Amino acid sequence: MATVRLDRLHKEFRSIGGAVHALRDLTLDIADGEFVSLVGPSGCGKSTALRIIAGLETPTSGRVLFDGQDITGLEPRDRNIAMVFQSYALYPHMSVRQNLEYGLRKRGVPREERERKVAAIGAMLQITPLFDRRPRQLSGGQRQRVALGRALIRDPAVFLLDEPLSNLDAKLRVHMRAELAALHQKVRTTMIYVTHDQLEAMTLSDRIIVMNHGVMQQVGTPEEVYSRPANRFVAEFIGTPSMNMIEGTLRPEGGRLLFSAPGITVPVPPAAARQGTTGQATLGIRPEDISLVPPGTPGAIPAQVTVSELAGAERFHFIALNGHSVIVRTPAATVLHPGETVALGLDPERLHLFSGAGEDAAAIR
Amino acid sequence: MLRALRIYGAAALLLIFVAFPLYWMAITSLKPQTEVFRVPPTWLPERWTLEHYVELFLLTDFGRLFLNSLQVCLMSTFMALAVGILGAYALARLKVRGKEAYGRMVLLAYMFPGALLIIPLLLLFRQLGLTNSHLGLSLAYLTFAVPFVMWVMRDFFASIPIDLEEAALIDGASRLGALWDVVLPQAVPGIIATGIFAFLFAWNEYLFALILISDEALRTLPPGMMRFVSTTDTNWGLIMAASTLATLPMALAFGLIQRYLVTGLGAGGVKG
Ligand SMILES: Nc1ncnc2c1ncn2[C@@H]1O[C@H](COP(=O)(O)OP(=O)(O)OP(=O)(O)O)[C@@H](O)[C@H]1O
Ligand SMILES: [Mg+2]
Repeated sequence: MATVRLDRLHKEFRSIGGAVHALRDLTLDIADGEFVSLVGPSGCGKSTALRIIAGLETPTSGRVLFDGQDITGLEPRDRNIAMVFQSYALYPHMSVRQNLEYGLRKRGVPREERERKVAAIGAMLQITPLFDRRPRQLSGGQRQRVALGRALIRDPAVFLLDEPLSNLDAKLRVHMRAELAALHQKVRTTMIYVTHDQLEAMTLSDRIIVMNHGVMQQVGTPEEVYSRPANRFVAEFIGTPSMNMIEGTLRPEGGRLLFSAPGITVPVPPAAARQGTTGQATLGIRPEDISLVPPGTPGAIPAQVTVSELAGAERFHFIALNGHSVIVRTPAATVLHPGETVALGLDPERLHLFSGAGEDAAAIR
Repeated sequence: MLRALRIYGAAALLLIFVAFPLYWMAITSLKPQTEVFRVPPTWLPERWTLEHYVELFLLTDFGRLFLNSLQVCLMSTFMALAVGILGAYALARLKVRGKEAYGRMVLLAYMFPGALLIIPLLLLFRQLGLTNSHLGLSLAYLTFAVPFVMWVMRDFFASIPIDLEEAALIDGASRLGALWDVVLPQAVPGIIATGIFAFLFAWNEYLFALILISDEALRTLPPGMMRFVSTTDTNWGLIMAASTLATLPMALAFGLIQRYLVTGLGAGGVKG
């Protein structure tokens, strides 16, 4: 059990071709027993951050502290961490039992205690029948469990996971996700989880760290990150399908602030209006926050249906709105046909406004 | 079909080309002295005999030469593996400045002709008292064995997923511990294959052995057998028997480890 503090971590990879700035000024406090996820697109520096915490990579500058102690210079084996790799990295020439035992052996744990712990982990993860097999003889899900077991058995202070579920098929992934959540409930070890799957991050974490290009974009609970994204990048990254984005301008009119884009004019919610930002802006609205309203409703925006997709219990409608394309999410019972004209209502309380048009356009609220 | 025929035809030609001298050597060693020079030659001995082999061990110092060679080659192979594997691992994994340039220099050293090395080496070894010593000769063989091992094993190590070592480091192993526990077991085929090649280089090497060792009692097989040719008044049956025995361990080794050779030298390029 430990708190983790990342203090202004920088990481630059220098090579002949130039330098890659993989991590910029990452500062973060993780509480004891907390489950945090690092999410972001490929190449955003998630693994780099995790590997620095593990001691597999040295930061260019900055510090890593466990329980207030600076451990930046320590070897991985002196950090009391465990890590689950995306590839599982099970030792191919060892049986499952030997894989589980290896860390204990290396730390000089006596034989009886090793056997007791291996038995306990085997029971907990239901892998006891696999003990004498080699990793090659296991299915993906079984390997996953063994990899988890190998990490758990040591009772680490911090548990690091780098996309541990991404090699599993969709069904198994959901199942293992639930198991992982249950596991964290049980062991209550600090867990740092890297994924590019925002849904995994949302369902598992106490807090989510969204990263892009090596820069932390937002830290918050899944709720916060979803409903109050700090900038356009976070807004678009979190949630599937993505938040609809319409670029336009903010201008005052008749004592109110209006957002306008070709064919769309919406009043800005009072809270956001108080900031008084004008000029170029982006309007964001989640697919579930757009409703279909009867034609003629005041404020309704007319639009044409392009395509409808059934996704099980719900339906996604792709709708053309004066040159913009938006996605609307409805229950499956709402059937729309291509070419049909509909009226869209936007819930003003659920609009997101960003000042500017780039990824880093900050939220106005 | 035609294509297959052509390939098999070419393979057969190559086989005859390579294997015929070996066949002739073995057959001649088993013919009685009177049959060796018969014209036309016999394809199989009319009378099989081991007389040349008996002669070889009773009348010549073949046995000692063989043991000397074995000792030198085993020593140099083990030293080359110990040094070369560590070097190769460092080249493959550690973040060291100038690693690439160093790697290329190693390759250059490997390609450097032995004939150019031998004079400076001789002068150096004289100073160090390493001439006329099996240790000295084994060390001299490291000049090509180590670069060879490093070159092949570097690619081999590079093909082993780095995650495995990192997992071991996190599990509590040191660098060397991870190398020993996790990397080397994966690399066994490569180690066997390169080890055998390093051994063969040394086994067949003539020039260094001739120049660095003048003491009759320490002489190794290749120069020893050369002397054989003159001292025994070119008894071909005897020479063929000696050659057969000198080749036999190699043929056996190749037969036994063929499996490793294929996976071993192939694994550097293709990830299995
Ligand atoms: N050893 C390295 N040498 C050079 N550049 C590296 C190295 N490791 C990572 N990088 C670069 O650093 C950046 C961040 O890489 P990182 O592996 O942390 O990304 P990631 O967020 O984990 O991506 P993914 O989701 O694809 O795993 C990338 O641009 C990557 O190319
Ligand atoms: Mg990664």
